[in-house]
Amino acid sequence: MKHVWLVFFVKFVMLLNFPLTAQQNKLVFTPHWLPQAQFAGFYVALEKGYYADAGLDVEIIHPLVTENAIESLINGQADLISLFLVTALRARSEGVDLVNIAQLSQHSAIMMVSKKTSGIETIHDFQGKKIGIWMSGFEEVPKALMNEYNLDVTWVPILSTVNLFLAGGIDIMTVMWYNEYHTIYLSGIDHDELTTFFLSDYGYDIPEDGLYALSSTMTERREDLKRFTDATMKGWEYTAANREEVIRLVVDIMRKAHIPSNKAHQRWMLTKVLEMYAYEDKSVQSTELCLQDFNKAVSLLKKQHIIKTGCDYNVFFQPVMPGIR
Amino acid sequence: MIRTRKLSFRIIFRMLFFSVLLFMIILSYFYYFTRNTIRDAATENAILMANETVGRIEQILQPMKKIPEMIAAMMELQDIHEDSLFSIVETIVARNETIYGAAIAFEPYAFPDKGRYFAPYAYRDEDQIRTMSLGGRHYEYFYMDWYQIPKALDEPYWTEPYFDEGGGEELMVTYSVPFYKHQNGQRIMAGIATVDLDLEWLTDIVSEVKIFESGYMSMLSHNGVVVTHPDRTMIMNTSWYSNAEEWNAPDLREIGRDLRQGHSRFRSYYIPGRPKLWIYYRTLESNLWAVAMVFPHEEMYASLKDMTVLVVVLFAAGLILLTLIISGVVNKFVSPLAHFAHSARTIANGNFNEKLPNVSKTEEMLELHEAFSHMQEELAQYVINLKETTAAKEKIESELRIARELQMSMIPHSFPPFPDLPQIDLYATLQSAKEVGGDLYDFFVVGQRFYFAIGDVSGKGVPASLLMAVTRTLLRSIADKEKSPQGIMKSLNKSLAYNNESNMFVTFFLGIIDLYSGNMMYSNAGHNPPVWIKANGETSLINQARAIPLGLFEDFIFTESSLQLEHGDKIFAYTDGVNEAENNSEEFFGDDSMLAIIENNLNAKPKALITKMTAAIENHVMDHPQSDDITMMAILYDGK
Repeated sequence: MKHVWLVFFVKFVMLLNFPLTAQQNKLVFTPHWLPQAQFAGFYVALEKGYYADAGLDVEIIHPLVTENAIESLINGQADLISLFLVTALRARSEGVDLVNIAQLSQHSAIMMVSKKTSGIETIHDFQGKKIGIWMSGFEEVPKALMNEYNLDVTWVPILSTVNLFLAGGIDIMTVMWYNEYHTIYLSGIDHDELTTFFLSDYGYDIPEDGLYALSSTMTERREDLKRFTDATMKGWEYTAANREEVIRLVVDIMRKAHIPSNKAHQRWMLTKVLEMYAYEDKSVQSTELCLQDFNKAVSLLKKQHIIKTGCDYNVFFQPVMPGIR
Repeated sequence: MIRTRKLSFRIIFRMLFFSVLLFMIILSYFYYFTRNTIRDAATENAILMANETVGRIEQILQPMKKIPEMIAAMMELQDIHEDSLFSIVETIVARNETIYGAAIAFEPYAFPDKGRYFAPYAYRDEDQIRTMSLGGRHYEYFYMDWYQIPKALDEPYWTEPYFDEGGGEELMVTYSVPFYKHQNGQRIMAGIATVDLDLEWLTDIVSEVKIFESGYMSMLSHNGVVVTHPDRTMIMNTSWYSNAEEWNAPDLREIGRDLRQGHSRFRSYYIPGRPKLWIYYRTLESNLWAVAMVFPHEEMYASLKDMTVLVVVLFAAGLILLTLIISGVVNKFVSPLAHFAHSARTIANGNFNEKLPNVSKTEEMLELHEAFSHMQEELAQYVINLKETTAAKEKIESELRIARELQMSMIPHSFPPFPDLPQIDLYATLQSAKEVGGDLYDFFVVGQRFYFAIGDVSGKGVPASLLMAVTRTLLRSIADKEKSPQGIMKSLNKSLAYNNESNMFVTFFLGIIDLYSGNMMYSNAGHNPPVWIKANGETSLINQARAIPLGLFEDFIFTESSLQLEHGDKIFAYTDGVNEAENNSEEFFGDDSMLAIIENNLNAKPKALITKMTAAIENHVMDHPQSDDITMMAILYDGK
């Protein structure tokens, strides 16, 4: 099928601002999903030259839908990547020697949604239902929730669209509050026609997006990683203050990558992602990984037998930003 | 000239007013009617164009659907060797120009030696047709919409549109049909047969549809995503719903949801900050995609606007022309009126021979001309008569003036009349209502007797004054012979009644005062009783010896009576002109008012009393014209 267009942007490189000075240190960043407002801060840092100002020559290379950013990290295509916390913990237990250098999102945006017409009203109604879940690896938390409630469900792997859910091929769909939930809405299903189950409401408010690098990179290029994180956070600050401008930038980037995009959706996403980034309600600083959240994630994964042994917080979280810990 | 213009202006103004009113009513109806007609026509046109386009699209889509359906049927019926499937898909693509690619994708490990993925696929690569087997670690086709959804739904499925290989601008869509195999008596899902269609032809068909100036046709996927649109940046990026959110236009979301339910409709909608739009939308039968005809409200009604402007301009021009014509006609008809007015003024100035204006041959104007001409003649004749009458009247008036002087000269009017007679103080007045009156008074002394009389002749004017003169003359001559009031009355009556064919009569009061004794004999022939004002302040009406007026019956016997006057007593005699003096409200001066004046002036001398009375009457009458002679006589007895 001509869906092979995805091949195209496996090598889609963000060269918006390409500084060619020799002194600049090359750094490849691979976000864990396709270009969208979720990564707005990175695009802004690149576009506004914050990376260049920090002496970095940054390339942002997005993965395939079927690809995992971790692979890029392992095979050296990426110097650092973004990942969900649980995905990173799992990878680490599977032998990938990665460390968290900055925790960006402090909250969970993962949720499950069903159509009101399906008659699913509480989580107990999930019993025996078909639940759509991304096959690219964000399934740990939803699965933990189902296990906790002893629900026997059929997991249906989904590549990226919500069409199977819209067509009625599955009863429940795992979605991101900032992304697929709104995509469903933008396919003509009204909010009041959907029943939502936020995982955070069931005690799974586990932070998501964080920045990861291999331990070796951390040792060798700590300063570069610090500068990258610093410039990225500046990019996010600018994003929060200039949302409409950044939305235009994101849509522009997506269209160049031939990814269907519109401002309405990216605006929703940006708003929700910024909400996820809020750290003021937790006793942490910006980019800090909350110890309790870390422990919660570890115990969840252990209970799921996804990871066998525990993990040392101080080994796993090695913040590059000064003043943390 | 001013009046003529005013009249014509008013005629024109009213005509124009009603013309405009009529026009407004007609225009409103015309506007309303045309508007509906235009809308109906636009609806019809939009529906027709949309349906025609849908028909053209269906003509291509429907046969395309048959291909994977045939493959699916074939896969279930025949046991085809897997390797020959490549040539089958290749042939299908080669034979159908509209088809970009075709695949027969199998479930994992369908053939032991083919591994997890087996999906023979043929596709166009410029002029060539290439074949390959789809699937791989980076192409897990089992989870792709085109495979996963028809499998899950157990029915054919049209994918949402997507861009072709290489991230180019070519839009593609895939139609997938599941096929099955029979194993141990069970029907098991075996794979999916598909065709990929390049949507360029569809875009071409839809893009060439134009309506009005900027109206266009757009196509949207089942999820509401824009597939074709004049604004290319919207294609694949936006949908009914994202545009609804971005533009804050709930109408769009409503339309999208309506379409999802398969409805078709012609309606208007709003996008805030933009002009009103009209839309006709419906879905395609084959893949449930939507086509929408969109056009601006203004353009739909542009012809109506133009037409209305034209009608208004034409009407305005017609109105101007009508005004000119009407004012010409009206002025032609009305202008003689100005000449008539001029003639009327000239005639009014006495020039009765003024030539009247020539008029048009309309009945009304001829009638007016005739009336004017008649008036002119009549006026001339009237003025001649008037001159004659006036001359005659002036002559009579002059004679009457002489008669008046003569009449007044008959009545004593030098006061005090008897300076040598200390017993009597007297004052009298006679105010005629007309030039000559019918009232009379007289007094004279014979020996030691003082005679006084007051009377009122019936009627007024010359006959009354003549009779008055006769009565006065007769009184004087009879008083020489007859000594008693009764006798005098009798003689007087006889003389006046004799040959009195005009039945005129005289009310008459006669008194004779003995200057030394103060005894007063009197007789009253139908006259108002005089007032006796005693020196002690008592007043009374002298009511005795009353009879009918003189001159009615020749042999009537009158009576007489007497009273004793004391020093300082007064007699106030008057005619009915005093108590019946009228004001503007036709109210009489009245006996009460008269007596009140008397009582308020008990000690007044005769002249003072009469002056007061005259003033009181004038005060009552004000400017009301005098209708009767007013005669008063006051006598003060100062004897003994």
